[in-house]
Amino acid sequence: MKHETPTISATLRERVGTRYCRRLRQQGKLPGVIYGHKTDPVSVAVDEKTLLPLLRLGAHAMYVEIEGRPRETCLVKDLQFGYLGDNVIHVDFTRVDLQEEVTVNVHLAFFGSAAEAQKADAILQQDATELSVTCKVSEIPGEIRVDLSQMEGNHLTAGEIELPEGLVLADDPQTIVASVTFAHPEEEAVGEEADVAADGAEPEVITEAKADEEAG
Amino acid sequence: MPRMPKRIKFRKQMRGKLRGNATRGNFVAFGEFGLQALESHWISARQIEAGRIAAQHFLRRQGKMYIRIFPDKPISKKPLETRMGKGKADTDFWAARVKPGTMLYEIAGVEEGLAKEALARIAQKMPVRCRFVGRRITV
Repeated sequence: MKHETPTISATLRERVGTRYCRRLRQQGKLPGVIYGHKTDPVSVAVDEKTLLPLLRLGAHAMYVEIEGRPRETCLVKDLQFGYLGDNVIHVDFTRVDLQEEVTVNVHLAFFGSAAEAQKADAILQQDATELSVTCKVSEIPGEIRVDLSQMEGNHLTAGEIELPEGLVLADDPQTIVASVTFAHPEEEAVGEEADVAADGAEPEVITEAKADEEAG
Repeated sequence: MPRMPKRIKFRKQMRGKLRGNATRGNFVAFGEFGLQALESHWISARQIEAGRIAAQHFLRRQGKMYIRIFPDKPISKKPLETRMGKGKADTDFWAARVKPGTMLYEIAGVEEGLAKEALARIAQKMPVRCRFVGRRITV
């Protein structure tokens, strides 16, 4: 699903550093940097509430408008996260041309149901959530739709996915994207019996085994 | 069955400190939803197993669960009514070191409501405050 390149406005950051970035975040802004194309890097601040929904929708490329400067076409290159690992605290933009070829990770949207997954005790596993593809910046899709009903056998590989026109797979085609596994009801019972046996069990100490060999 | 290492290099370890936040294993990597620790603590193999059983009984073989922590630290304890000294005691249990941000469990292949309920049951068995999280934004 291709979408139009969104535009976001940014302000120049004259003062950089942890303290000033923290103050920006308290105001609902996200510190960022624009670099690339052999031009000097620029420190910017963007509105968090504008940028994050776009990223959640799968936007990679965007126009960044900075007051008093020409509009720049940028690709979101990297995100930094807070200590709990989910709140975005910094964004890296890299300058690109819309006709430039780039490699990006695109989210996979699964739909349909696999025939194997209909069997008793079958568990459908989505082993990959995104796929690395190479394409022009203007052709980056928001997501790649994967039809699970086309799965033959127990697994679907990256090479078997029908990619939209203009996209080339950058990942290994043998990468498993989705698979069907079967749960074994007897596994749990075995686990409980093993529990009793394992109570007195101790792990093997490698260094002691070596010392015994040397002594013997 | 409580988990423990198969092979170890040394039988006993020093206690160590749990300073700072988790910098690895602090986001949902395998499943769609996860349970994240908000405090630091040792989590024993029995607690990890209790969490697994609580969730798996609730899920009734739906979806797939990933346990992201492993109890690789031997914790020794002196027997009761023993005088101090005479060397370090034997291993009592195995524990995983958990810092704020560590992803404890992940679930894939079930709806959000069901995953939330299952992970809430695990959280009851944990010695730390936890929160429910989803996958983070990727680019």
